[in-house]
Amino acid sequence: MRLNRSLHFIELLVAGFLIAALVTSCTAVQNPALEAARESYQKARRDPLIARNAGAALDRAEQTLQTADRIWTEEGDVAEVEHLSYIVEKRVEIARLIAERRSARDEMQQPRSSR
Amino acid sequence: MTIRLQDCSFVLVAIFCAGCSAREPSPTNRITQADIAIRAAVEAKAADFAPTELQSARDKLAQARRLMAADKYTEARRLAQSAQVDAELAEAKAETTVMRRAADQILRGADKPASEAERESRKPLVSQPQ
Repeated sequence: MRLNRSLHFIELLVAGFLIAALVTSCTAVQNPALEAARESYQKARRDPLIARNAGAALDRAEQTLQTADRIWTEEGDVAEVEHLSYIVEKRVEIARLIAERRSARDEMQQPRSSR
Repeated sequence: MTIRLQDCSFVLVAIFCAGCSAREPSPTNRITQADIAIRAAVEAKAADFAPTELQSARDKLAQARRLMAADKYTEARRLAQSAQVDAELAEAKAETTVMRRAADQILRGADKPASEAERESRKPLVSQPQ
């Protein structure tokens, strides 16, 4: 009787551990640097000036972001993902500067009468 | 059952080959690309308009070269890539600053009333009576 009760307790304990392990594996672990880079990229993607003037430059940031995402999901390589996140942040900054430059160029090329 | 020396050596060679194939290749191309990006940034006057970014790119490239010489290919590749993007940022910053200044100068010129000399120069040429 006592042995039966102990076995039942162990079964419950094992089941509890299994459920906890399942829940943990379902919750994706996030990398802070990657999430910050994603946020910078998404913010730039919503900016109409960048969309109009530096779409190709922002596409390069997106490609690097996708590579970082894949490496994080498949390999979990923290150093590589942090490195690629840095590259994404810089590429977003470059896209922003290119957009500003083209906007300044357009201002220069406008005829005086329309200013 | 006895394990022969030949069997062991075969396994060791197989492990060695697997290790070799997994090793990252030398990042020579990355270093060349970073070098080209730094030269382009210098051409774009990054030394004047984006000195911090340009210096960061130069420092990282120098460090990447040292790491490559020490056979630390992964770290060297990352630093070379990082140097390249820093140089590209320096170039973009310099080009944008130059363009913005030029645009501001033109816009200021457009708002300013024409000077006496400019008004004179716009007058049609009238032939003086003899």
